[in-house]
Amino acid sequence: MTAVSAALILTSLVAFIAGQLLLKRGMEATHHGWRQPQCLWLLTTGIGAMAVSFFLTVGLLQRFDLSYLYPFQGLSVIILAALGAITLREKITLPLAIGSLLISAGVVLVSLS
Amino acid sequence: MLMRSGSTIDARSTSWALFGFANPWFQIVFSAMLVTASELFIKRGAMVAAETSASWNWTGLGGLQSVWVWWGIFFVILSFLSWLYVLKYIPLTVAYPLSCVVHVFIPVSSWLILNEAISARRWCGIVLVLIGLAIVAKPVARIEERL
Repeated sequence: MTAVSAALILTSLVAFIAGQLLLKRGMEATHHGWRQPQCLWLLTTGIGAMAVSFFLTVGLLQRFDLSYLYPFQGLSVIILAALGAITLREKITLPLAIGSLLISAGVVLVSLS
Repeated sequence: MLMRSGSTIDARSTSWALFGFANPWFQIVFSAMLVTASELFIKRGAMVAAETSASWNWTGLGGLQSVWVWWGIFFVILSFLSWLYVLKYIPLTVAYPLSCVVHVFIPVSSWLILNEAISARRWCGIVLVLIGLAIVAKPVARIEERL
């Protein structure tokens, strides 16, 4: 794996996680009505970030096996839990942390074989 | 009531949405089922498209000739809408791990419907994901009972 591929994999992962966080914030904003500029802006950038992640993944899949790229998706569970706690101020309980770690490990195992 | 600052599930939204199709917890599973359906359709469509040998087949765009792929795209859009609904009510740190149930649905349905093999290591992964899901979902089930 070259430095460029590593950077692309990382960018794709970051874009996916940023997309989920933006969509979450956007959908929370809809509790106060759909027409707010803040809500539309968050949802649009969220969908944009997901699109960037999607096309980077398609590009990466032309060079790497799915079983090589997919484990990185497994890591998204742990990273998303950490960032959700920090940026969305969601509470991480012990069962949630343990469960997320097991799911993450499971996803990596499912995609490795 | 599940209290988490910024993503409170208020009583008004849960009282009518507790049971049935509008229940956001059900929508997590429903969204994963839609993703699974879309993946199966796209796989089927891709296999049909692979039989035609156009020079631009490597782009994957050849798949658009197959009606199966369009069904796949339709189900992807539905699953995205369902996921947005989930995000409106459920904290992301709970909803996202639970959405990983798709990593159980896809291999098992590929095994049952497409007759694909599942290796021992993959079965271990599926079991790990299931245990993790049970641990994450248990406190949630208790909250639902109290409501």
